[in-house]
Parts: sequence; C-alpha cells; structure tokens
Amino acid sequence: MSFDVETRSSETVVVRMGEALDFRNADDFKEAFQEHVEDGVRNFILDFSETEVLDSTGLGSIFSLYREISPDDGKVAFAEVSRPVQVVVQLTRTYKVFRQFPTVEEAEEALA
Amino acid sequence: MTALTLEYTDLNRALDEVRPLLEEWAAEHDEAAAPSDDTVRYTQLVLHEWIANLLQHAHFKSRAPTVQIRASTENRHITCAVIDNSEGFDLAEQLSPDDDADDFPERGMGLQIIDACTNQLSYTSTASGRHRLEFTIPADQDPCLSMLF
Repeated sequence: MSFDVETRSSETVVVRMGEALDFRNADDFKEAFQEHVEDGVRNFILDFSETEVLDSTGLGSIFSLYREISPDDGKVAFAEVSRPVQVVVQLTRTYKVFRQFPTVEEAEEALA
Repeated sequence: MTALTLEYTDLNRALDEVRPLLEEWAAEHDEAAAPSDDTVRYTQLVLHEWIANLLQHAHFKSRAPTVQIRASTENRHITCAVIDNSEGFDLAEQLSPDDDADDFPERGMGLQIIDACTNQLSYTSTASGRHRLEFTIPADQDPCLSMLF
C-alpha cells in the first residue's frame, strides 16, 4: 500500500495515513517518508482521520521517522486522530513526543 | 449472550476479519451489559498484536498455522482465549524488563502493549499439544505502558 503525501511547503508535508499502519505496511511508510527526508522536508503532519489500526510496528516506524528528523529540529505532528489511534497514543504516552491537533490546518499553522 | 468463536488457517485473513467481527459481536449485547467501546478497542488491539506476533515470529514446523479465537463478556469486561498450533514460547521470559530497551523502539512493543492492556494474561500448553493465550480486558480499563516515556 502506498501513502498519499501532500507537499505543503519545502519543509512540510502531510501524510494521509489511510486505514491502517501496521507491520504489513510499516516498510512502505518508511519508504514514503525517506524520500522526503532526503529532499529536506523536516515537518511531517500525519493525518489519522481514516485510521482504524495502528499497531506497535506501525508506531515503531513513526519513531524511526522521529529519530531521523529530530536532530535537525524536525517535527512529527498528529492531526485528526481517530479513536483507535488515540487509544494507542494514550497507552504508549506518545502524546509527550508527538503534538496532536484537531485539524491538519491547525497543525500546519503551529509548525510554520 | 453467546460467545464469539472464530477459526482461521490464514492468519492474515484473521487480522483483517477479527476487528470488525468483534465490534459486531459486542454491539449485539444489550446496552446495559455491553462492554464499552474502549474495552472493545483494547481487545481488538491485543488480538491484532498477538496474531501479528504469531505471523511474524511463531514456529509452526511443517503444520499449516491454525488459530481459534474465543471471546465472551460478563459485567462489561471481555475474556478471550486464542489457541494456536505453533511451537509456543515462554511469554513470561519475553515480558521480563529489558534494561537496554531503546527510548523509541522500532520493535518489541507488541507484547508490552498486550501486557499493559490485559489482566490475568497467560500463555500455556494444552493437553492436545496446542498453545493457549488467555486474558481479560476489564471494564473501564485505563492501561499505561511505562516502558517508553
């Protein structure tokens, strides 16, 4: 499965996470963000509005993104977080690392 | 209320089907007795992590993998059993604290998530040579994984 990545500026992209991010497509997600990291993108807004499944390997792939961009002051933000994703975020306390926003637009404004 | 029983020989199919079937099953209960939406979500997450774990790491030798999932509910909590025909492993050993754990681990969080969400978690051999995961998701469960932050 491929991920839809929308470029908002030279530094910021929005990734539509789709129905699931799990061990079956975590490598596809890594491939998708890697290309943009290499192009100099530092801010990633992950749109979870349609996401029903986020598992531990999926979350691990987001950590992988965070590890790549955080040394250059890059940010990963979560937007429109669905309830199944919120359950994982609360359980793992990742809200301490990834800021959450009600909408993609609000995330974009905060990261600008 | 009847228990839910599902059986699969295709574990990928199990991953895709268990989540919606569990939701439908829970919705059939009277509102007063039904598990909460979050109790169902924790159950879905635990079953997903466990089946994913079987798919990625379990040894089935030359046997075709089979998994049977049973769920029942009482007083708004959910009790599950997952019986598989793998070689099994020592769950308690895998759950023992790892002092070298990464702050942002890419792997190895699945069993910790299962442990955090459940009560009365066990994985034991059965008399018929299979292995059985059992757990309960309490009503109003408020789990928290302490290994990360």
